[in-house]
Amino acid sequence: MHNFSVLLKGEMQRLLRYKILQISFVVTLLWLGVLFLIGSEHVGDFVPLFIFMDVSMMTVLLVGANLFFEKQENTLKTLLITPSDFFALIASKFVASLYLGLQSTVFIALFALFMFDVSIAFVWLMMFVLLITFAHTALGFTFTVYVKDFNGLLAFIIFYMFIFAFPSIFYALGILPSSAEVWLMFSPTHASLLMIDFAFGVSVSWWLLVIGSVYLVLLSLFLIRFVVSPKYVETAVRE
Amino acid sequence: MKNKVFEVKDLRFRYAKSNVEAVCGISFDVYEGEIFGLLGPSGAGKSTTQKIMTKLFRDYQGEILYYGKDLKTYSNAYYEDLGVGFELPVHFSKLTGLENMKFFSQLYKQRANIETLLDQVGLLEDKDRMVGEYSKGMKMRLNFVRALLNNPKILFLDEVTNGLDPKNARIIKDLIRAFKADGGTVFLTTHLMNDVEELCDRVAFIREGEIVEIATPRALKIKHGNREVRVEYFSNGKTEEAVYDLDGIGENEAFLKLIKDKEIETIHSGETSLDDIFIKVTKAKSDA
Repeated sequence: MHNFSVLLKGEMQRLLRYKILQISFVVTLLWLGVLFLIGSEHVGDFVPLFIFMDVSMMTVLLVGANLFFEKQENTLKTLLITPSDFFALIASKFVASLYLGLQSTVFIALFALFMFDVSIAFVWLMMFVLLITFAHTALGFTFTVYVKDFNGLLAFIIFYMFIFAFPSIFYALGILPSSAEVWLMFSPTHASLLMIDFAFGVSVSWWLLVIGSVYLVLLSLFLIRFVVSPKYVETAVRE
Repeated sequence: MKNKVFEVKDLRFRYAKSNVEAVCGISFDVYEGEIFGLLGPSGAGKSTTQKIMTKLFRDYQGEILYYGKDLKTYSNAYYEDLGVGFELPVHFSKLTGLENMKFFSQLYKQRANIETLLDQVGLLEDKDRMVGEYSKGMKMRLNFVRALLNNPKILFLDEVTNGLDPKNARIIKDLIRAFKADGGTVFLTTHLMNDVEELCDRVAFIREGEIVEIATPRALKIKHGNREVRVEYFSNGKTEEAVYDLDGIGENEAFLKLIKDKEIETIHSGETSLDDIFIKVTKAKSDA
């Protein structure tokens, strides 16, 4: 992990300078505004959904935006010719992304707690949010190394949402049988939603949580090892 | 005899989606303290070779020895020895010049004085401006500073004077010469023959992934030039020209009489320019 702390400090400095931190904060404020308008009667249903949106789709978008800035400025390449470990390079970007996910979750959760007295299992929430953000950071990297520009990334995200969100919607509407839920855990969207719901007091079988957690970890590690690592260098070196 | 910094032997590389090799079995050595130029037209394989030697491309065939040891066995600590000046600007545009340099500098054990380097390339006064506000020439000068941040032993420079006005190009070339004078080795890729003429001790011309010539610029000029002397003289109210064989010129009566009797305007030997050599030796096989 040679140079990890320097790289992480650089990532955090750039999150601020490229206004990614500020954009993330503004989006969080928007979620808080919408929650305020929804009011106490339904707020419990929406808080998990907003946290999910923030730590999944927003993470993919922000990771993509960050990488596109770097791709545009050729800085991905120049970092590869430093003595830094490649793993430290990737890890610094993941940790910066985890920070963004945690920051918005903490704001939304505290707002829900103090404004509407929503009951939250904080430790579970933070653990699951870390897992979900980690997996969606890996997905964000994966999407970005395969597309040419930001529009391509948006198209990829929309495609991804259709593929993984519809089965969950069909399940919620009763179109899919309850026995299908174990298979739905292999959708990052469904697994993430269920894990966040659990932290907000929804009853979820422990084995579904285990399957979801293990799956997200394995998916992330698979993407980092077999997609992000080889394609990152290729993306960085391509001019 | 100087130490070999790099020994490149039968180097081959093919891009993943390509049927043809971008680098087709090239071999050359780079010696300590020399400025070695790899020259050729766009797409000839210069940048690919540089990317292999800087370990950005690792899936190559053949062998590269760095100070006698296989390059593949070196860890990322190899980069402590290297300074790389890319063809395009490689900076964070929303950080200042100084912030950029401080960030990159912290990634190395050896650190040069950033402000001294910025001063040498004329950027000290602009150090606190965002790089996004820099002109292309300023960004290229900052690229050069970036390459020198870790007091490298070897500089890889790709089109280093690209986008610079003559005054700033001169500053960079003087710094490259100073780097060499301090014992540094430079691997230069360019298609600007003026830079080559001024800087390189030896050059290799690369065409379609193959090295077609490798020698000192002087040797190449002699090899590809004509052994003749061209004299322009003033006679009968106008400029006239005469050409003589270089061999035996000291005993050539006609030549000696001409320079004694006529008002000589210019005398040139028939050595060719590097521009002409470049065009001649890098002509595509299909056009040759």
